[in-house]
Amino acid sequence: MAFVLLVGLGVAAAFLFAASGVYNVAASRGHWWIVDQFLRFGMENSVKARAPETSPNLDDADLIRLGAAHFHGGCAFCHGAPGSRPSPVVQHMLPSPPDLAERVDRWTDGELFWLVKHGLKYAGMPAWPAQDRDDEIWSVVAFLRQLPDLDARHYEELALAEVQVDGGGGRELATAESDPDGVGACARCHGDAGRGPQTKLVPRLQGQSRDWLARSLRDYAEGARHSGIMQPLAAALKPEAIEKLATYYAGLPPLAPDDDPRRGSVEEGQKLATSGDPGAEIPACISCHGSDGSPDYPRLAGQPARYLSAQLAAWRNGKGGTSPTHAIMAPIAARLTDQQIADVSAFFASQRVVGHPGLAP
Amino acid sequence: MTSTAERETAELPNPLPRPRDELRRLQAVWAIPEGWRILSAVNNSVIGYFYIGAAFLFFVLAGVLALLMRVQLAVPGNLFLDQESYNQIFTMHGTVMMFLFAVPAVEAMGVLLLPQMLGARDLPFPRLGAFAFWAYLVGGLVFFSTLFFDMAPSGGWFMYPPLTGSRFSPGTGADFWLLGIGFIEISAIAGAIEIIVGVLRTRAPGMSLDKMPIFAWTMLIFAVMIVFAFPAVILATMMLELERAFDWPFFIPDRGGDALLWQHLFWFFGHPEVYIIFLPAAGMVSMIVPTMAATPLVGYRLIVVALIATGFFSFGLWVHHMFTTGIPAMSLGFFSAASMAVSVPSGIQVFSWIATMAAGRLRITAASLFVLGFLFIFTLGGLTGVMVAMVPFDWQAHDTYFVVAHFHYVLVGGMVFPLFAAFYYWAPAFSRRALSERLGKIAFVLMFVGFNIAFFPMHIAGLIGMPRRVYTYPAGLGWETPNLASTIGAFMIAAGVLVFLLDLIRHLRPTVGASAGNVWNAGTLEWLENDVHAARSVPFVESRDPLWEDARLSADVHKGRYYLPGTVTGRRETIVTSAILAEPQYVVRLTGPGWAHLLAAIFTAAFFLLLTVKLVTAAIICGAVAIACVVAWAWDTDSPSAGDVDIGGGIRLPTYAVGAASHSWWAMIILMAVAGALYLSYVFSYLYLWTVRPQDWPPIAPLASHAGWIASAALLCISAAALWASGRSIRAAVPRLWLTVGLTVVGLLTLLLGLGADVASHWLAGLRPQHSGYAALVFTAGFLQAEIVAAVCIMGIFACVRILVGLTDGRRSVVFDNMVLLWGYGLGQGALGLLLTHGFPRLGM
Amino acid sequence: MNQSVLEPNGAEAERIADLALMLFGGAAIIFFGVMALAAASVWGGVSVRRAIASERMIVAAGIAFPVITLTALLFYSLWLMRANIQGNATPPAGRIEVAAEQWWWRITYVEPDGRRISEANELRLPVGREVELVLTSPDVIHSLWIPAIGGKLDMIPGRTNRMRVSIDGPGIYRGQCAEYCGGPHALMAFDVIALEATEFDAWVRGDVAGGSTETVRGRGIFEESGCGSCHAVRGANASGLVGPDLSRVGGRRTIAAGTLPTSRENLTRFIVDGQSIKPGNLMPPFGLFAAEDVDAISAYLMSLQ
Repeated sequence: MAFVLLVGLGVAAAFLFAASGVYNVAASRGHWWIVDQFLRFGMENSVKARAPETSPNLDDADLIRLGAAHFHGGCAFCHGAPGSRPSPVVQHMLPSPPDLAERVDRWTDGELFWLVKHGLKYAGMPAWPAQDRDDEIWSVVAFLRQLPDLDARHYEELALAEVQVDGGGGRELATAESDPDGVGACARCHGDAGRGPQTKLVPRLQGQSRDWLARSLRDYAEGARHSGIMQPLAAALKPEAIEKLATYYAGLPPLAPDDDPRRGSVEEGQKLATSGDPGAEIPACISCHGSDGSPDYPRLAGQPARYLSAQLAAWRNGKGGTSPTHAIMAPIAARLTDQQIADVSAFFASQRVVGHPGLAP
Repeated sequence: MTSTAERETAELPNPLPRPRDELRRLQAVWAIPEGWRILSAVNNSVIGYFYIGAAFLFFVLAGVLALLMRVQLAVPGNLFLDQESYNQIFTMHGTVMMFLFAVPAVEAMGVLLLPQMLGARDLPFPRLGAFAFWAYLVGGLVFFSTLFFDMAPSGGWFMYPPLTGSRFSPGTGADFWLLGIGFIEISAIAGAIEIIVGVLRTRAPGMSLDKMPIFAWTMLIFAVMIVFAFPAVILATMMLELERAFDWPFFIPDRGGDALLWQHLFWFFGHPEVYIIFLPAAGMVSMIVPTMAATPLVGYRLIVVALIATGFFSFGLWVHHMFTTGIPAMSLGFFSAASMAVSVPSGIQVFSWIATMAAGRLRITAASLFVLGFLFIFTLGGLTGVMVAMVPFDWQAHDTYFVVAHFHYVLVGGMVFPLFAAFYYWAPAFSRRALSERLGKIAFVLMFVGFNIAFFPMHIAGLIGMPRRVYTYPAGLGWETPNLASTIGAFMIAAGVLVFLLDLIRHLRPTVGASAGNVWNAGTLEWLENDVHAARSVPFVESRDPLWEDARLSADVHKGRYYLPGTVTGRRETIVTSAILAEPQYVVRLTGPGWAHLLAAIFTAAFFLLLTVKLVTAAIICGAVAIACVVAWAWDTDSPSAGDVDIGGGIRLPTYAVGAASHSWWAMIILMAVAGALYLSYVFSYLYLWTVRPQDWPPIAPLASHAGWIASAALLCISAAALWASGRSIRAAVPRLWLTVGLTVVGLLTLLLGLGADVASHWLAGLRPQHSGYAALVFTAGFLQAEIVAAVCIMGIFACVRILVGLTDGRRSVVFDNMVLLWGYGLGQGALGLLLTHGFPRLGM
Repeated sequence: MNQSVLEPNGAEAERIADLALMLFGGAAIIFFGVMALAAASVWGGVSVRRAIASERMIVAAGIAFPVITLTALLFYSLWLMRANIQGNATPPAGRIEVAAEQWWWRITYVEPDGRRISEANELRLPVGREVELVLTSPDVIHSLWIPAIGGKLDMIPGRTNRMRVSIDGPGIYRGQCAEYCGGPHALMAFDVIALEATEFDAWVRGDVAGGSTETVRGRGIFEESGCGSCHAVRGANASGLVGPDLSRVGGRRTIAAGTLPTSRENLTRFIVDGQSIKPGNLMPPFGLFAAEDVDAISAYLMSLQ
């Protein structure tokens, strides 16, 4: 009875505290020291309790480049980056986003992963937009591990690749719709005419069909295809911009294969890609993805093996989206073994593109 | 009744008046913990109540699932349930009804009724019984709740691979089935061991086997059948789980496994299972009919023979579930003959009940109505059973709604109706008030009419082509009308069950001390005036219906004039008697309430369920806690001798027994029978796979070197020598307990090393369990041996510690003796394993 | 069309139907006899009840009678199974391989010259000719059951079962998978079309009559969209072995193994949204086609007869 009474009193006191308005919620004034310590203590333990214990190999140039490219567009605005400070607006948030170069060493890989994936309540740190794309999140963690050692020049090399972002003169800056940081530049990751992607984790868009390119961007924009990296970028594009981009990349000549996959057997992959495995209910890949397939489907020849493997793995795990193409590939990918994924990826990575389907209707 | 006058003058074992505080002390030692502490109770009356309540809960839950299915099938092309939900629901309906309702319900009736019916104070292993119950309840509730998380199995209650293998059933549903049901079966076996020892060793003095109530006979046969049938399915579930978790391809045809192996093992369990459920229910009928007709059972001996014959035959007809698998026609003929033969003993029972009803005058009570309904339904089910035993007919009827109708007639008719009869019949013995006759009759009419409306049309639906386990069906095949009728009937049954529940709420007032009493004027001992300690004194039994033979028996028992009217050692006690003639042998002290067995049950359940969801670390912690709880519970079960005690009538009995006289020795022997049955199922699997897949055997597969089996055999021999020597040393004139401990440790280590040498020899030869069905079976021998070795080692450490602290020695040796028994068994099994995995492949080379 | 045991149209089914009727009759007599005895034991007069209440009655009714009846029945059933017990010495007049897959039927007509003609989901049989069905499964256990023709026989991975069927007259019968095979087991049926032998032979050897000019566009989309990686159409650029052969799909009575009547609309529905019609089937939903494109495919498929 006394216990019930005590609990009742506690609840009533807490209610009165909130009802009275005594506590100041203004971001312009910090928390009381004790409150701040308590919140931090709770946050850190919550993260530690939930973080995964294992991580993939993060010392991986492809992962780091992809992470850097995303960091530049997705994180630097709030957290700053080597050579640029965060916006003053952001600095007046409570809590204000920390300078990550100083902080990342406090966390394990798993904890960073958890923070990037789930974000933090009441701290302005958003969750990863595609909760089923752990592979992308690890690329950000891989980059964060490099961050403390980067200066401005190396950062730019990683984040911008060879994209020039001087943005023209003052007039252009003052009057045109432009992006002084080059955040939206596709070429930072995917390359452009004659130059392939910076990382083997993204597709080569050069010479793909316009239909497929446009459909992919629309799917990202609508959230029907999941990617924490591509969704925000595509969502910012207007329909005309999508058409223009698709036309641009479709018109570029396909690139010669230059990937040297370490895993998988090209011969086995060729068998699977050309004949399928009827016993395991796997159709031949080239029926759709070969040189005379429908423009609704991507050409896989010459694509990086790691990109193909990651996509197949995402589909196989039942992830990646709700788009019509996803609905076709997910059940097929689910029937593939790890070895088959490696083989078939190796095969396509070794293939030269035949013809130039990009501008076909 | 003429003997009453003679008994007036006869000397009863104990004189009146009884000492003033004798009854108070008796009640005190048997007291049931109050309030929420009742969870720690172990009295059979409490656990029995819980047990029946839980089984009935699962009956209602599985019944709700049946209603969902009937709604879905009421009309063709219905969209009420989607395909996956329906598949999960029919799987859960069958599984829950068979494993969580039927078997536990009859086991529960045994726990509740047997001690009182046999004149014992309680079952011989109260905490084991309570453990079995709690394990079942926790495991069952978690298993059932998988439905709410879309994680329920959907492979059908007989879980045929390859459909239930990891390729076609990814996800955890099948794992829940395999680990959950495997675990609940282990709990059923624990209950069976207790029932066998209880029936054979704790009957009232004078109650020789030929005076034992038929219900006790059926529970005995029930439990023996569990001991031999359940291990087959435990092995099968173990193998399928090994296949799913570690890729041991027992049932994958492309990799040297065989899909039908599962069916053989499953139905070797599954067919006896039907009789396991039916026999005790028939036993209840054999108790109710004589009382309601007020005349002794006609054909007692014929019924006993029929029961034993049923138990025996039921192991010889598992193949009749496989008539359509394409096995050779001649063996079909044999199993067809056996399947028909098994109907004869059931016929004997039916005609015995009819003869008994004719011999007396049947009172039409609710219980009688349920019995008559049972006769009607079960006879029809038996006749359709003969039909499906005809192989050509079965080729058409198999896996159709005809079979669904058949087994519901047999199981609902043969088990559920007798169970409801039993509820109405025995409620007055365990409740302050009898149940309502009026509500009971209404419930009966609804259930009986509803049952026939629900299930008779299914015969027709099956004959006009409707297969079972379909979540929908097209219009235009004539299936609409029978299906709609079945749905209407199903809801009538549900209404009947609701009326029964209403009756329970209004009239059932559970009690152990102040029951309504012998309202039917029955003749058996469970109708004596009972309290927490069962009857006040243990009667001497001279006939099959003692209360009818001796009108004063009830009063004399209650005054304490028979044996053991109080507590002689200040503890809970019951008299252990000889197995056949029930001559008093010793007084066993029973354990009282406790928490260790309850925690052990919860953590054992947690171990299995956490394994299912692949939380291995947490599972291992729970497993270790469970073992610790078992050790804590076992620690104070082996009380030292309290000298000889007087139970009245000039009979002095010892309070400690070793060897074959000890009830605990019997339990160990039965446990070894379980392990032996498991291993024989394994031997069958090994040889069976050889007959269908000899191409995977050595020399194609690598064969272990001679050194392997020689080393292993030598180690087993050393272990055997240590076993013999340790047994001698503990009983030596001058016992040297350190020597006993040393020999035991050496013996167990060599047993362990023998296993290690065997497994290592196969491994070093290059064989891996993932290679083929053959290879997986070779390593399964090691897996099974490892289980026994682990159990022996735990028991060995336990015994050694007790020797060192002075709790076990040459006279107080039950703990040590039990360990030695299992150790000896482990040596034999190890040797057989060597013969099989090293010797057999060399035969053909 | 029927799926009934009680309307047999094949030798084995007729024998079993006769057996069934005999069993039902006998069972009815025994059942009413036992019930009458039970009623007499409860409500009968004293003399009747005294006659019933004896162990002699139990022995007579519970042992002697069933042993005699059941023995007779057993021998009768063995006699019915004599063909299965002795085995077939004569080779069958035709052979058809049926492989059950989750959740459809792969059917191959094996010609006497060894030529193999692939079909799916509809079994055509010649009247009056004994045909051997060779039953297999590549995935899980299924069971072939055509009640009007005979009993069922399981199709078990790793094993081959053989079943002889002969059919008395032309007609259409329905068969269904009788062993639970997961997912849409309920939607795994097929039609059996019994044809006169000459008609049957002409059909088996007949050419695919598809490909009229108005379906050229549909055929083009069919080929470039990858349909042929799973499905085969003789004469088209489609030789996939994963799914059902579509060479004569337009001539079948149903699509998706007895799930829907064959029609242009239903083909379109299945291509676009097969997962809601037959959940779990292995064909992905092709929702990305424009409506006129998928309609063109369906029109092309309807033309394949």
